[in-house]
Amino acid sequence: MTNGSPSERAISPGKSGQSTAVRVRDVTMDFGNGALAVSNASFELETGKFLTILGPSGSGKTTLLRMIAGFETPTSGEITVNGKPVDSAPPHRRSIGMVFQKLALFPHMTAAENIAFPLKMRRFNPKTIPRRVDEFLDLVKLGGYGNRRINELSGGQQQRVAIARALVFKPELLLLDEPLAALDVKLREEMQLEFRRIQHELGVTTINVTHDQREALVVSDDIIVMDGGRIQQHAKPVDLYRAPDNAFVAGFLGVASFINGHAVPGGLTSGENFLSGTHAGNFADGTAVRGAVRAEQIRIAAESGQLAACDTRLTGTVRDTIFEGERQLYVVATDELPGITFRVYHHDPESFGLFEIGTRVMIGWNARDMKIFEFRAS
Amino acid sequence: MPRDSEDRSFRYPLKWRIMDGLNAALDLLWPRRLGRYTGWALLTPALLLVGILVLGLFQIAENSLHTLDTSTFLPGEEYTLANYRIIAESPTYWRIVWRSLLGAGLTVFFTLLLALPYSYIMVRTNKAALRKTLLIVLFLPFFIGQVVRAYGILIVMGSSGAVNDALGLVGIEPIRLLFNFPAVVFGLVQYMLPFAVLMLAPALTAIPRETETAASSLGANWVKVFRHVILPMAKPGLVGAALVVGTLSLTDFAMPAMLGGGSQDFIANAIYDQFFRTADQGLGSALALLLVALGSVIAGVVIAFFGAGTLGMRGRK
Repeated sequence: MTNGSPSERAISPGKSGQSTAVRVRDVTMDFGNGALAVSNASFELETGKFLTILGPSGSGKTTLLRMIAGFETPTSGEITVNGKPVDSAPPHRRSIGMVFQKLALFPHMTAAENIAFPLKMRRFNPKTIPRRVDEFLDLVKLGGYGNRRINELSGGQQQRVAIARALVFKPELLLLDEPLAALDVKLREEMQLEFRRIQHELGVTTINVTHDQREALVVSDDIIVMDGGRIQQHAKPVDLYRAPDNAFVAGFLGVASFINGHAVPGGLTSGENFLSGTHAGNFADGTAVRGAVRAEQIRIAAESGQLAACDTRLTGTVRDTIFEGERQLYVVATDELPGITFRVYHHDPESFGLFEIGTRVMIGWNARDMKIFEFRAS
Repeated sequence: MPRDSEDRSFRYPLKWRIMDGLNAALDLLWPRRLGRYTGWALLTPALLLVGILVLGLFQIAENSLHTLDTSTFLPGEEYTLANYRIIAESPTYWRIVWRSLLGAGLTVFFTLLLALPYSYIMVRTNKAALRKTLLIVLFLPFFIGQVVRAYGILIVMGSSGAVNDALGLVGIEPIRLLFNFPAVVFGLVQYMLPFAVLMLAPALTAIPRETETAASSLGANWVKVFRHVILPMAKPGLVGAALVVGTLSLTDFAMPAMLGGGSQDFIANAIYDQFFRTADQGLGSALALLLVALGSVIAGVVIAFFGAGTLGMRGRK
């Protein structure tokens, strides 16, 4: 290791924690094909934070990222990076590093040449370039691989080159456009932790785009959930999981079962059944609502005695059992709510495989675990 | 699959039945166990064709070793290298060889210069209409053929042609645009452009747009993107196009004959003269072999230094 590791030179995280690095205000993007790709998006991101924009494909998350990168110009609204409008300079003069979905490494260059490219283009002192390149090869744990050509590196190593190349010129902002989407699960999880480590080490403000809820939860300080071009919720990972703002967010993070019905005080009615739950917001009696219960918050038992503590109890039949390794998933159809299948997680290894398909069971949950949202047809 | 008992009226579509029939017939003609020879069987016609060419080449090599007996106007009996000596000692032939090489080199240079932006725009444009227009404009001359095209150039660039008329409008005296070396190169470039674009377009398509975006986000302006990313990544296409355009120009006959007006002969014209004007088969054959050798050596050197580009399947980029 050389003295003066990247971490010492970088902007130290926390110190400037209160300043705003990225400000997106009322940004709308209309490609003119009917629906708005992004509609009235606004958010702010503090310097040094790691933000993930999470959403299904077609949610507008990539368009939003490309606008922040300055590759697309919003139809209306304003985006500033460290106070300056993003399109005030042409792309090659902006201080934004980006890791692309398909990495976009230069196949005719070695790993070291790839990492040196932005330094040469940005006219860094040629004498300092080799040392800086080595420093960043070390940072991404590729020390000694500098002379390899890109096609001689594994998928994970190529990822690391792409990260080093995007960071080596110390950009003010790092953008990640689903770079992990193509990796297999094991490698993806490893790289998620790497992103986190490198981001912490350099303290660079980062915006990541993904459809992988797990990745979002693992790497981010903040998460924005998008759907249909709109920001659905902007919160810290734990809050997002614990207190989703609407049924879409509840369904997108984790596994949940949904019950449509009408609002009544202390819960909802579905058909003739009353189910106690917690209203997320104030709605009048009779409003169309949707209740959501997470799979891990539903209890399952052979008889009602074991579910005495639950506020809601239903009787049903096991329709399917899926063993997922660290947990068992039961799909249960209830007598009371015939149209709905409940998904129930069982995390206790002792009782894996306890119920077989066709077994009569009881399921139940507490009122605080069923969130009731206003129903929006979408 | 429907059971007979359930639906007797069911029949597979006609196309499927024809294909099944063809498959069955093929199985009879060429049983499966011959499968591993299928490749060779398919290759045979082409090999025969090339074989005839090689035989012809041997014939030409044999011819080149006999001088013309001026008394009988038949090739002499004895073997001699005299024809080659004539070529080596003749300044005219040296000039023709040099002119062919220079002409081919210049044609490659200008063709690639024009073809690169042309194919880049064609590949990268988002407008389908523009892409189609570029393609049509490129391929229309293909249907016209080389000779007719050369005639067109003769008409347009002649002393009373459209170009000189246009120059006259701005007060420039008619100038001789034809029957000189630049005219031949002009004609060749015009003729070769579609070939070069055809070779370059796939190579440029293979460069992901994202790679260029990445380069610019890393700090490269468009000149640097072109020089450090597009040019090196398009190299296979450039090498392939240069090889095709180079060989075709080096061996071209019609453009030097028609646009050079007899004063700008390439090697192919000299060969034609020997075979069909002076009827000196020996000298003509020697010139032909010289052309084959020149072309092969140049192609060999290019491939050795740059790889075969898009022409070589397994070649590195």
